[in-house]
Amino acid sequence: MPGYDQITESVDHLFRRHAGQMTAVLTRIFGFGKIDLIEDAIQESMLRALSHWSYKGLPDNPRAWLIQVAKNNILDRLRKSSRDADLEEGSRLLDAWARSAGSSVDTAFEKEIREDQLQMIFACCHPALTPDSRIALTLKTVGGFSVGEIAVAFLSNKDAVAKMLVRAKKKLRDEGARMEIPAPSELGPRLESVLKVLYLMFNEGYSASGGESAVRTDLCHEAIRLARLLADHPLTSQPKVHALAALFLFQASRLPARSGEGGTLTILPDQDRSLWDRKMIAEGLRHFRSSASGSEISDYHLEAEIASYHAVSEDYGSTDWRALLEAYDRLLERRYSQIAALNRIIALAEVEGPDKALEELQTLADEKLEAYYPYHVTLAELQRRTGLGEDALRSYEFAAGLVENEAVKRFLRKRREEIGAKGSEGV
Amino acid sequence: MEGFMLLLHDRTTQQGDLSPEEIQGIIAEYVAWRDKIAEQGRLLGGEKLADDDGRHLVLDDGAIRVTDGPYTEAKEVLGGYFAIKAADYDEAVEISKDCPHLKYGGRIELRKIDNHR
Repeated sequence: MPGYDQITESVDHLFRRHAGQMTAVLTRIFGFGKIDLIEDAIQESMLRALSHWSYKGLPDNPRAWLIQVAKNNILDRLRKSSRDADLEEGSRLLDAWARSAGSSVDTAFEKEIREDQLQMIFACCHPALTPDSRIALTLKTVGGFSVGEIAVAFLSNKDAVAKMLVRAKKKLRDEGARMEIPAPSELGPRLESVLKVLYLMFNEGYSASGGESAVRTDLCHEAIRLARLLADHPLTSQPKVHALAALFLFQASRLPARSGEGGTLTILPDQDRSLWDRKMIAEGLRHFRSSASGSEISDYHLEAEIASYHAVSEDYGSTDWRALLEAYDRLLERRYSQIAALNRIIALAEVEGPDKALEELQTLADEKLEAYYPYHVTLAELQRRTGLGEDALRSYEFAAGLVENEAVKRFLRKRREEIGAKGSEGV
Repeated sequence: MEGFMLLLHDRTTQQGDLSPEEIQGIIAEYVAWRDKIAEQGRLLGGEKLADDDGRHLVLDDGAIRVTDGPYTEAKEVLGGYFAIKAADYDEAVEISKDCPHLKYGGRIELRKIDNHR
């Protein structure tokens, strides 16, 4: 009988993945008009698994079990409203899927499922939808996240997310959205929209993940999974897709080191680099090399390049700051953003010294940046290094007042105490 | 060693809001509990009962009357059972205390199988 680890470890996120896969496969067969029915049927099959497996133990092939039960459920619901031909194809596909679910070999069927999921990603990132609802819909229908989990991840409430999803699905039906990878003539902008969604999804998960909520780290991993799907498919395996995958992998490799004792955020200079995920870095480097195969340079290329300098450095001190600074200059020239400009200051301080960096930082400051806590952290660190200890304490205090995330708050308090202690020793 | 039945009463209000991830997590807890009992050689079995009201049989004025279960209005149903081995009620209670069924809002009715002649 399959054991505990089969469902917790080797089949990590089995249910979530399975929900996303089934939604994609069935939506391709039955169309967007049936997506609510499909989602309900999948949810019901999982609740059946809950009561069966909890009391009886796991079946020999959990995935095949889930597919069979969902199949019966869906066909029952559809019999009233669908054409016989659709039902037949659905039935055939689900049976084939259930059969293949037990084998570990990468069957043609697994390939078909990946294709369906890619099509679903393109549908969810349809240009007719608002950017927020693209992310929410992708997480729900491709990622198998629940409304509640999406609400947690975006610090929103369940009702708002549910309403957003209803509106988005209606919009897709009204637009006559189809399950397809867009034709070559439209692929460019459509792929751009998909990459943007994955980028935002990843950042949302990364920006506040101080061990506060596992769901937010899951966003990063979902974005990576989808980026890999795109990078592996011949039609979407473009240099900028590899660049985005590389960026995600470099950033995510540091996740294990970002959360210190008691879930306190740990910043880059203080991270224990032996905790970085070497496998992710290696995979990131592979994608990074593939990203150089074309003539096109995207923002993602430059961001991946910047992340790569950190990923390959033994320690903070031996980082190639000059190359990093130069990459920031190129990025800012392409597309100015205050956040990138702020990060550039950190590299500038290592190359030209903290005085010069502090001077430039003060020219950046405006109302918007002053509401962004990392600005005050950067300011505080530069003040500390230029001997303005008292100012540094005030900056940390100000930063703490801007933050709601507990892990970040703890980090800011800890850092402030460290500086205060050093100051009183006259160091 | 005595035999015990853990009769698992479920709440009838379904947990439709659970996410796939949460559902998997709950199953994993039950499976872990079950595996632990099995490793100790104490597990005799476990089954889920169908989600209907069953049938109710009584002898009524000399004729057997069969009705659907009378529990439709009840707030809980008998959803399944585990059968285990334990020295006595105290030990069976200790084992049952860890069962995730309690944590997830269910009720356990613990009954000893009477083997005494």
